[in-house]
This record gives sequence, structure tokens and C-alpha cells, in this order.
Amino acid sequence: MNFIVEIERSKKAKLEADEFNSYLRKIYEPDLTSLLKKCYQCARCSGVCQISKVQKFTPSRIIQMILEGFEDEIIDSQVLWDCLMCNSCLQHCPKDINFADIVRIARYKMRLKDIQNLDRSIAHKGIYPLMSELMIQKNIKIERPLDWIPKDCKISEQGNILYYVGCLPFFNYEFQDSNSIAESTLKIICQLEKDPVVILKDEICCGHDLYWGQAKFEVFIELAKKNISIFEKAGITSIITACAECYRTFKIDYLNLFEDFNKKFEVKHIIEYIFDKWKQGKVQFKNPNESNDVIPFTYHDPCRLSRFLPKDNKIIEEVREIFKHLKTIGYDFKEMEHNKENSYCCGVNSWMNCNEKSKALRYKRLLEAKAVGTKMITSCPKCRMHLKCLKKDYEDFSSIEILDFSEFLVDLIKIIEPNQTVEEK
Amino acid sequence: MSVLISKEKKVKNKEFHPNILCFCCNWCSYAGADLAGVSRFQYPSTIRIVRVMCSGRVDPSFILEAFKDGIDGVIVTGCHIGDCHYLKGNEFARDRFERFQKTLKLFNLDKRFRLEWVSASEGKRFAEIITEFTNQIKELGPLRLI
Repeated sequence: MNFIVEIERSKKAKLEADEFNSYLRKIYEPDLTSLLKKCYQCARCSGVCQISKVQKFTPSRIIQMILEGFEDEIIDSQVLWDCLMCNSCLQHCPKDINFADIVRIARYKMRLKDIQNLDRSIAHKGIYPLMSELMIQKNIKIERPLDWIPKDCKISEQGNILYYVGCLPFFNYEFQDSNSIAESTLKIICQLEKDPVVILKDEICCGHDLYWGQAKFEVFIELAKKNISIFEKAGITSIITACAECYRTFKIDYLNLFEDFNKKFEVKHIIEYIFDKWKQGKVQFKNPNESNDVIPFTYHDPCRLSRFLPKDNKIIEEVREIFKHLKTIGYDFKEMEHNKENSYCCGVNSWMNCNEKSKALRYKRLLEAKAVGTKMITSCPKCRMHLKCLKKDYEDFSSIEILDFSEFLVDLIKIIEPNQTVEEK
Repeated sequence: MSVLISKEKKVKNKEFHPNILCFCCNWCSYAGADLAGVSRFQYPSTIRIVRVMCSGRVDPSFILEAFKDGIDGVIVTGCHIGDCHYLKGNEFARDRFERFQKTLKLFNLDKRFRLEWVSASEGKRFAEIITEFTNQIKELGPLRLI
């Protein structure tokens, strides 16, 4: 009897392993050399590499070493944990070699080796990736607090439009003001939508950090599956998010795993959402305080919304169109020295490597911002966190206010009622 | 950490025997636990003690990692406020874990974690705390994360 049970169990385990491997094959390529063959060593990647400005790191040399058969040496040397994954190299590569993707795959290989000490490079002692890992457990029930929701907003558990909050409530442990991003984003969406917006109480992580930073693909696949089942249960057709990383993950990385993800769910970033409504004539901008002072402000492009999207994306231009329009109400938009696809990185990605070197990068970025404006807008909650953290340490930056896109716009937006537009016409 | 898990758990049809991880600070709580042993106060054999130099050394990620590796409850003990060997270590621990309780609440794990102050002379108190906490975990049932 026992024997039969054991055979059944091993069959089941094999089936599960097969399913997992079929997903893993879609996001993992064991042969690195085949991805790199096109490289002809122009070394542009090493020239533009952002981390190479503060420490020794040369992508072109790493590529050549892998091509010449020293892959094991590269993996043993642990040098690839230092990559920022800002994707500047892909922007300038004439052969479109996706170095960040190769680092991601190599990191998976590195993690499988016992000698690698991953904990050395994870920021905050690895607590945030651990939280994401706990979320796939069946016995853990997530219960998010809903006390940040403004009183006049109608929310429900079932519906078409989901506001995907992301990990903001989990950051509250160390970053006190992260809820204000969620609050102001929800305020904007609530004003524009007639139907109640869905806020999920048991929402889980999208898996971005585990996919890029710690290369825990097993957990990422589980998270993706669980996310889709949660969305389907709530009957969601469109997802709005204020997080650049969630947007990129839903838009591109989930598509690699599940081909029909974008058919089932329409993913929009809050910038796209406001831009569309503005073009439809449902939104106007007004200045709440009636003074004539012109406030100069600038915009920091997060890598996930500029370099990490396909080249035909419009978000970079859309956000600038909105900002240029704001000149009529007394906000003067100015570009930093490095902008759009060439913008500097905030220095930390997926909770990897927060140290004095990445601080130097952040310092540079804030110096550029200080030169052009008093407000610095960004649309990635993590960029905002990292830059704010550095701002605390240096008094010279006390003049700059670092805000999220929705935090900045929530007071400036004026909603036009449908009846009003008819009268005007 | 998975080595710590006792074999009793795997035996079927037996009463639930929780696995509790206990961080003790070197100067007070570890001596307190020692005193409890020397003076033969009875307490359940559910805890596994990890000695740290100060309760301020314990990072919240240790606790999440313990839960992930199959521990049912975590207890952190340190010197009383004001008695810290390193002057302020336990105050840091208190502030940190007060904030961390909210995060644990998101995972519904807040009842499985506790922060207590035990001094070197409080052997009896140590035994009482462990007994009480074990009963609490027994009521909650196994976590079953592995």
C-alpha cells in the first residue's frame, strides 16, 4: 500500500517539476554565449555604464571573457552582483545586446553555486525580498490595512478597474510617508471614475525585485500565477498602477510567461491614464494658490519607464507634454542635464547594493536637480525613497522637494463634469 | 536553520509540538535562561536558543527568515530598558520591533512574535514567559510553511 502511495507522489512531483520547467524555459537561457555572439567589442557599454563611474566594472570585458570561455571565472568572481541594471548599455548598443537580461540569467546561475554570498549585497539585510518570498505561501494570508483610503472614495472588492497599490504598505516599516503616494493616486482615480475602484485586500507583490535583483525565478513564477488567479477572481479587466516597476513587470515580463496576459488585462501607468483623460477633455489643470510666483521644477526619469520599455513607448513624451502645459498655471518645467533615456540612475535597483558608491550616483543626480529647480518629480516610488534618503543626510539639498508624480498632480487637477463640457460646446 | 527543527514534528498522531526560536542577549537573558536551568524551573522543551551579544543585534529579517524555514514562533529577549550592557541597544530593538509589528500584522504573524525583557536574576520569569508563549503558539496551531 505504502509503495503505491509513494509512486503516486513521485509522479505528482514530476508533473509539477515539468510544469515549472516549462515556465522557467521561457525566462531562462542556460547558454550565455549564444546571446552574446553578435558583440563586436565597440565597448560603448563600458563607456556609458553608470556604475563604472564610481567603481571598476566593464561590461564589454565581461562579454568578451564569456565569449572566450571564461564563463565560470566570471560567475565565481561574483562581479555581476554589482551591476545596477539601469540598461544604459542597451540604449547605446549598436547590436541590441541586452546586457541586463544576461546579468539576470547569470545571477540565477550564480545563486545556484554554494560559494556565492548573496546577503552581502542585498540592502536592508534582505528583508523586502523575504517578504515577497513569504507571499507565495499558502498558509499566509495577507491582510492589508485600508486606513489610508480617503473618506470620499468608493472602493469595492469586485469590479473592472483595479488600482494596484504594490508594496507601499510594506515599506511603511522603514519609510514612513510611502502611503501618501497611494492616497493621492487613489484620489485622482476616484474623481475620474464613476464605478468604485477595486482595492484588493490580499494583493501580493508583482515579483519585480526577485526577477531582476535576486534572480529567484521559482518564486517569481509562483507570484505571477497567484497574481493572475487573484485578478481573475475579482473580475478585473484593467489595471492602473503608480509604480514604474510594477508597470514594466506586468507589461513585458509577465507576457513572457503568459502570452495572453495583455489580452486579459489592460495595464496602464498613472501617467498614461491622466494623459488619456486630459486629451479626452475630462481633466484640466488649475493652480490652487493664486500667486504669480513661477515655480521651477524638474522630472527624473525612472529607468523602468524610459530605458526598460520598448523604443516605441510614449510615456517619456506624454509626461513632458503634461508638464509643458503646466506653464500656463505657474509651473515652469526644466530639463536636467541628463534626461530622457540618458538620465542618471538613482543608484539602487531591486534592493541590491546600497552603499557609498550608489550614494555617489544619487548625490550627482541631486546636484543636477538642484541646478534647475526646487521641485523634483519622479514616477517610481523607489527612486523617490532613495533620493529622499540621501536628501536627509546633506543640508545643501534642503531646498529641493522630492515628490511622486501623483503627489504633485493631486492638488493641480480639476475634473470637468460631463454636463459641463456639453454646455461649453 | 532547518537543522534546528525537531524530529518530533514529523511523528504522526502526536500532540503538536511547536518549534520556537528564542534570541537571548548575552548579558541578561542568556544568564536568566541559565539560571532557570540551574534552579530547575520547569519549562517546555519547545525553544531553541540563539545567543546574540545584544537584542539590538537582532534584525527583523532574521524573524521572517525563521518563519520561512519552518519555525512556529519567535521570541526576542533582552535586558530591561536602562540596563543594556551597550547603553542603548535594547532601546533600538524596542523601536525597531514596534515598527515591525505592523509589518507582521500584514502577514497575520503578529501573534507569533514577542519581545520581552528578562534580567539575569529572573530565571523564574524566563520559564514563565516560555510556558505562556508555548501555550499561545499551541492554540494558534502549526504554521506549516515548509
